[in-house]
Amino acid sequence: MDSTDTNALKMDFISSEALKESSSMEKISMIVDKVKEGDLLVIEGGLTPSEEAELIETTMREIDIENFVGIDIYTLEKDKSSFFGLSKKKTIGITIIGPANVMKAVKKKQNFLSMIANLGDSGASLH
Amino acid sequence: MPKFFKRNFLRNFFNKLIGKDKKLKIGLYGHPNSGKTTLANTMTNDWLGKPIGLISEIPHETRRVYRQEHVKIEHDDVELDFDIVDTPGIATKIDYKNFLEFGLSEQEAKERAKEATKGIIEAIKWLDDVTGVLLVVDATQDPLTQANITIMGNLEARKIPFVIVANKIDLPEASADRITSVFPQHTVVPISALHGENTGDLYQAMVKKFN
Repeated sequence: MDSTDTNALKMDFISSEALKESSSMEKISMIVDKVKEGDLLVIEGGLTPSEEAELIETTMREIDIENFVGIDIYTLEKDKSSFFGLSKKKTIGITIIGPANVMKAVKKKQNFLSMIANLGDSGASLH
Repeated sequence: MPKFFKRNFLRNFFNKLIGKDKKLKIGLYGHPNSGKTTLANTMTNDWLGKPIGLISEIPHETRRVYRQEHVKIEHDDVELDFDIVDTPGIATKIDYKNFLEFGLSEQEAKERAKEATKGIIEAIKWLDDVTGVLLVVDATQDPLTQANITIMGNLEARKIPFVIVANKIDLPEASADRITSVFPQHTVVPISALHGENTGDLYQAMVKKFN
């Protein structure tokens, strides 16, 4: 995000195709770099459990107390039927990751995610 | 639980675990302030007669992994040896300003925040080393958080058995049902670690899951 414009929120939408070839380490460093700059990422699909753990670990190493206080992650799941349609399994539809101090309030319900972003002194609402 | 029954119950519990070659290392995981150390203390008090760590209302009080090694229980000439690992609470963010509410100075709050980040890294590393987990969830809070989901996802992926402990059921706003309804596929045991309420059920669930 442009550091001169503190009232703007940059949102990046990343398709699963774009991440298909990336290693876990590449994905995590891309996420952490962007979030540290104040960006909000909307990723198609989700991370694996071990990638999530790795992301938290990397975030903890990057927290500098003053400027970067960590991340918030939210996922929106969808039902996925098996081959014969006999059983349903939850899969992650989209993942939203952003700086913890920007993602002010998030309401999560089934099939619905609502977020209020806190932008400097102005505040903005995203639904 | 009356003492006599408690003794009998614990004997049954230990007997069920006897004869297993594997070394049990039970990790306590969950959010900051969900009651992990209180539960660890209740367990070690029940089994060893002494507490494991310090309890406080300030989040991230447990900033390092506390490990009570060789919890040795002798009963009727049989001996059981296992470890309890009390981990710092896992979170995705640490803001030192939250500690100011608890009367810490800015400097102390910043120090604590730095230590808390290291504690979380340590807790995640320990996931590679535990053989069973008690996921402690504060029953007064929304259980569907990213930290809980991440811990469970990792346990499932690593095939580590776990029991969800719905703690703080002594509080009027607690709802163990909410936890059961969002995690219907897992074992959820409602307890009050502080008052030792329902811990018998928890020990029973542990025998079932960790054996």
